[in-house]
Amino acid sequence: METLVFKYKADRKLTQRAHVGVVGSGDLEILMVPSDEEHAHVSVRTGSEGFSETWKAVLDRFFSVHTIQAKIVINDFGATPGVVALRLAQALEVSENGSE
Amino acid sequence: MGVNNQSFIELNGRERAQAILDQGTFFELLGPFDGIESPHLPKQNIVPQSDDGVIIAGGLIAGEPAVVISIEGGFQGGGIGEVSGAKIAGALELALNNHKKGIPVRPVFLFDTGGVRLQEANYGLLSISEIGSAVVALREHTPVVGVISGNVGCFGGMSITASLFSYLIMTKEARFGLNGPEVIEQEAGVEEFDARDRSLIWKTIGGIQRYETGFADALAQDDVTAIQRAVQETFQKKEKVTSKTEQVDFYRHLLSKVDPSEKLASDQFQELYKATKNEPIPSTVSYSLNEVPGNMPNSRGRVWINALINDEEADFEIPSVLYKDALLGREKVRYISVVPNPYNRFLRARKGEVGLDEGWAIAKHVREVIKEDRNQSPRPIIAIVDVPSQAYGYHEELLGIHYACGAAADAYAAARLAGHPVITLIVGKAISGAFLAHGYQSNRIVALKDEGVNVHAMSKQSAARITKRSIKELEEASKKVPSMAYDIESFASLGALYELVSGIQAEQPTDRDVQTIQDILTGAVEDVRREGVYDLSSRLYSEQARKEGRKASLVVRGELERQWNI
Repeated sequence: METLVFKYKADRKLTQRAHVGVVGSGDLEILMVPSDEEHAHVSVRTGSEGFSETWKAVLDRFFSVHTIQAKIVINDFGATPGVVALRLAQALEVSENGSE
Repeated sequence: MGVNNQSFIELNGRERAQAILDQGTFFELLGPFDGIESPHLPKQNIVPQSDDGVIIAGGLIAGEPAVVISIEGGFQGGGIGEVSGAKIAGALELALNNHKKGIPVRPVFLFDTGGVRLQEANYGLLSISEIGSAVVALREHTPVVGVISGNVGCFGGMSITASLFSYLIMTKEARFGLNGPEVIEQEAGVEEFDARDRSLIWKTIGGIQRYETGFADALAQDDVTAIQRAVQETFQKKEKVTSKTEQVDFYRHLLSKVDPSEKLASDQFQELYKATKNEPIPSTVSYSLNEVPGNMPNSRGRVWINALINDEEADFEIPSVLYKDALLGREKVRYISVVPNPYNRFLRARKGEVGLDEGWAIAKHVREVIKEDRNQSPRPIIAIVDVPSQAYGYHEELLGIHYACGAAADAYAAARLAGHPVITLIVGKAISGAFLAHGYQSNRIVALKDEGVNVHAMSKQSAARITKRSIKELEEASKKVPSMAYDIESFASLGALYELVSGIQAEQPTDRDVQTIQDILTGAVEDVRREGVYDLSSRLYSEQARKEGRKASLVVRGELERQWNI
């Protein structure tokens, strides 16, 4: 298991917290909590070690588009970059639109 | 499935709970944002989940207050660890409190679990015994309803839990049994059970077979509306149901008609069950092999029951379950011990395992004590424990070994709740489903400090296979997480023991050893009566448990109680 931490500048508030996904084969769990601080704080725990560059690439891409003020916790069980991006989008949708 | 149907199985654990509750009424207790995850998984380099894989939801079912407990099968196979187990047990204990205060709540359990989470091992077993105890108590007030939908199904210790329920609803996609196919193959060989033969698996333990042989009460389609309706219907029934694990005479009668020397096919068992279901039950059950055909081997279980009953002859109906009423101090108590019978009619239960006949026989010998003492002071019951495992085999699964183990656990729990001090004396092995059946439902557990005394959830070989780790890796992990270890001192560190007794010759006790143990057992009985509490809370609130062994279990219960608003 490896813990990775990322921080991005942010200027957009979220309306509510979101929880999506399961820490199960090829999937991951994301908790997204609105924050007043002007950055997004991302903490990733992953069972697959040695992929920090891949994580950085996926997260850079997402947070360059979505400059959200949030604390994000990710518990990963071997999700592919595509699944990670989808789950992030799903969490964002819940955080902005309300329905879980 | 039609186009308008929505699969229940494809939903995750949280969505399933939402689907069972009336629309818009779902709320969660101890949810993912409360951040109570397993403290034991990260130590083993395993990523935890924010809710530890169990969803506790409140809401309404057909307009009535309900609590839905849903296991997320996608996380660690739905395995029960300390936090997830405490969430379940805590929720059931709070539901029981509600009923005692006259505030009804409908308990529904959505199973999707392989049983004990092997990475937390003994925490899983401890929790499962506490969950079982709560189910037995709660069942007196309300139907306790379970749904086994798959994908994982319901296995291991949690299948024993499910056996205690008032009603079980299954889908044909679900599987329900004590030992998973891989574990049977590992323990008993591929000739006994081929874990790759999917057709055999579903014919033996699948939803249709379980429904046709009465081990499930309803068969529902894999459809949200169908399952919701099936759950609601069970609460509309007016008469109190007798759980299958309470129907000891019927199941002993049914099993007496089986000849295990020939392989019984699943459809033959369906016919046998249906033919037997409506017959009158004879008052005595005779087995073809209930005489002792030769010399019985010595075992710790046999040595200790003989010693404790002052070397009188122990009674038995089947030679592998000995029992005797004898004096402990000035009081008559009942001793029960499971011992090896090399001539056992079930091949897989010849080495002292708790098998089909054993589970139901224990239930009988415990329940007759409850019945006999109905109008007098409840007799203490002493379970002498030296059980290497539950029996692993094809017949065992087909004929419902989880129900046999559940019947024994149910009987001990019922005795305890009726005020019988139930004391466990571990003199040898106390393993897994066998220990859940025989010993884990007691008020107090006494163990000998001896190398041959072990408590754990699964043999190292099987645990390694299931968790995809080497035996060496398992042994390394158990150094960091004592609940995974096999030795009795590690188990003692969890705080569940009333006393760990040193200096006793476990194989061949001296007269003085026996006197020492008798004094401790007498003290344990007195302690139970003095305290006057007949649930399993003494294990949670012992000094060792509070300080170290059950810290997370207590935090979860405390926080759940704080949030409880059902």
